[in-house]
Amino acid sequence: MENFIKKITKDVDLSFAILLSFCVYVFFAINIEVFFSHNISFAILERFAVLGLVGLALTICIIAGEIDLSIGSNAALCAVIVVKLTDPLGAPLAMLIGLSVSTLIGVTQGFVIAFIRIRAIVITVGTLMLLRGVALLIAEEKTVMLTDFRVPDFITTKVLMYFSPASLTVIFIFICVGIFMRYTKYGREIYAIGGARKEALTAGIPLRRPMIIAFALSGFCAGFAGTVIGLKSGTAQGLGLQYLLLAGTVAAFVGGVSILGGKGGVLGAAIGALTVNFLNTGLVFYALQVHFVQLFTSVLLVIVIVFQTMSRVFDSRQARKSLLATIDERKTSLLEKKRSAIGR
Amino acid sequence: MSAIIENNQLPFSAKFLQFYKDRTLLAILLSLFAVMFIYGIFFTENYLTITNFKAIIRDAALYGIMAIGLTFVTLSGNFFLLSLKETASICGVTFAMGMATGFGSPDLAGNFLVSLLAALAVGVVSGVIQGYFVGMGGNPIVVTLGGAGILYGIGAWWSDNLVINFTRPHDAEWLGTGSFLGLPSITWSFILIAIAAEIVLRHTNFGRKVYLVGANKAAGKATGHENFSMAIIVFTICSVCCAFVAVAFVAQMDSAQSNYFSAEFGSSGDMTILVIATVMVGGNSIMGGYGSTLRTSLGAIFIAMVDNMMVLQGFNSGPRIVGVGLMIVFSIIVFGLFAKGSRAQE
Repeated sequence: MENFIKKITKDVDLSFAILLSFCVYVFFAINIEVFFSHNISFAILERFAVLGLVGLALTICIIAGEIDLSIGSNAALCAVIVVKLTDPLGAPLAMLIGLSVSTLIGVTQGFVIAFIRIRAIVITVGTLMLLRGVALLIAEEKTVMLTDFRVPDFITTKVLMYFSPASLTVIFIFICVGIFMRYTKYGREIYAIGGARKEALTAGIPLRRPMIIAFALSGFCAGFAGTVIGLKSGTAQGLGLQYLLLAGTVAAFVGGVSILGGKGGVLGAAIGALTVNFLNTGLVFYALQVHFVQLFTSVLLVIVIVFQTMSRVFDSRQARKSLLATIDERKTSLLEKKRSAIGR
Repeated sequence: MSAIIENNQLPFSAKFLQFYKDRTLLAILLSLFAVMFIYGIFFTENYLTITNFKAIIRDAALYGIMAIGLTFVTLSGNFFLLSLKETASICGVTFAMGMATGFGSPDLAGNFLVSLLAALAVGVVSGVIQGYFVGMGGNPIVVTLGGAGILYGIGAWWSDNLVINFTRPHDAEWLGTGSFLGLPSITWSFILIAIAAEIVLRHTNFGRKVYLVGANKAAGKATGHENFSMAIIVFTICSVCCAFVAVAFVAQMDSAQSNYFSAEFGSSGDMTILVIATVMVGGNSIMGGYGSTLRTSLGAIFIAMVDNMMVLQGFNSGPRIVGVGLMIVFSIIVFGLFAKGSRAQE
């Protein structure tokens, strides 16, 4: 426990994330009476099942030093596939097919990025459009619907008061990915190519393996989010789910990843996603229109970016100051030596 | 030196090949142009008519102007803005507000100049603010993603998410639906802006600075051209281009709404992604320092041509989006493979 506290207080971004999420929660808990209740907690965890996964997907990509812009389209494609195939094949098989398609897309993206050595934002803008078109094609430009809306009931039943099978699975995925990122060689490789790519490559870490793993994980998470959304609402659209990119990015950045890569973690992603969930759930009570939710989410992102930039600028200034101080010391000592030599 | 002499002694055909080898993507683009064109002539009805070509260039003009603005950002190494359509929509809302209500004072209602200036001012302000954050060291993608949400939120809040109408006749008709010498005004503006941008980039100090900062940030910083001021300027240029497109579009529709440029716009989905696609399909290096607005203009016309042909062939929007997406991915992969080992890479 002491180690844990020490770790959190040492990490400025993580402690800022915890502070921010605490502030948001307390603000809504004070202003809205029912916010601190079992049902709202259940609702927040239900939203967490979707947003947390998207945040996790983006967190992994950003740790690897890249950003995946196509997760919205990937999720939409997976949702369309799952909803369309649930009727003929049954939910489990449809989920399996949708998730494997999403993961395969992630693998392909990672392979292309590592093979051609281009930045991920470049290729994922292309796949954003491509996957959206494919989703439209599969959905035949209509809204795909389940015929039997009772089929997906198994993911929304309440378990243990706060959880549903969906949110339990997502928490399980979080723990697995956390262990994978922290305690396995493959996970640490992702950190290495994100934090210092040139050094990592020189040290003999292959670029292809961690990149493919990172994007496969990201594709899987995006696909799972799409599956949960699609099955829960029973409908899916080719052009939908584009808001996931903004929400996921906010979650990842609130969670303390750095755009330079190699920083952040699964715990941060969870806290970031919870913060966004608190905000979104709280804003529901004010009966605001959709664009206000987008506005406040973006404001949250800007606050975090400003904080991160400020702390970076502050750090570099501090480093420069200490460097200048040491140089000054040496200069004065040299001068004194000279003076004493001349005086002699 | 020896390479130059050798090059001079080569026969013309070899020189021609050499020229194209240096410009692989341009060559591919031009040959694709030719293939599309020949296919269009033989297999598509009503393709080879002047009206159709006017329509192609008119389509290309709308996102071409925005793409020319974005080219400045891309060339200077700041990737791209994800807030293009939101900037355009808030500027469109501003313009329509001015035309409809005159921002609260009835004397100004319908005053074209005031509305135009207000819309451009909104564009300048949003560009400067986003450029400031990027120049301070923020990542352009993340900053403009946040900016997009804020701009959209403010635009929708201001207009109450309603459609703002203003009635004809109004002073902006010449820009929206008017034409000059047989071509629509928006096409003329596209041509003029493309020429102006090309001149600025090739023959002014500023243009060369854009290339310098994009090609090598460290060298730019060492020679006193920091990305801070550059980011502010290029983001402002891009936002003003968006504002101009928004004004022209709103003048044509006589109305504005905060999600006019969203997913349902045009035929190829999202306006922002379409504009970024235009820049990429033209073969500009997304890492900066390599490319030109001429390429972007060609890319815009190419995308419009493909889109137009698919419309004439009776495709729905799904295949069309797949087509544009394939074009982007294809051009990125080809560019990445051919530029391997060159400065276009990291």
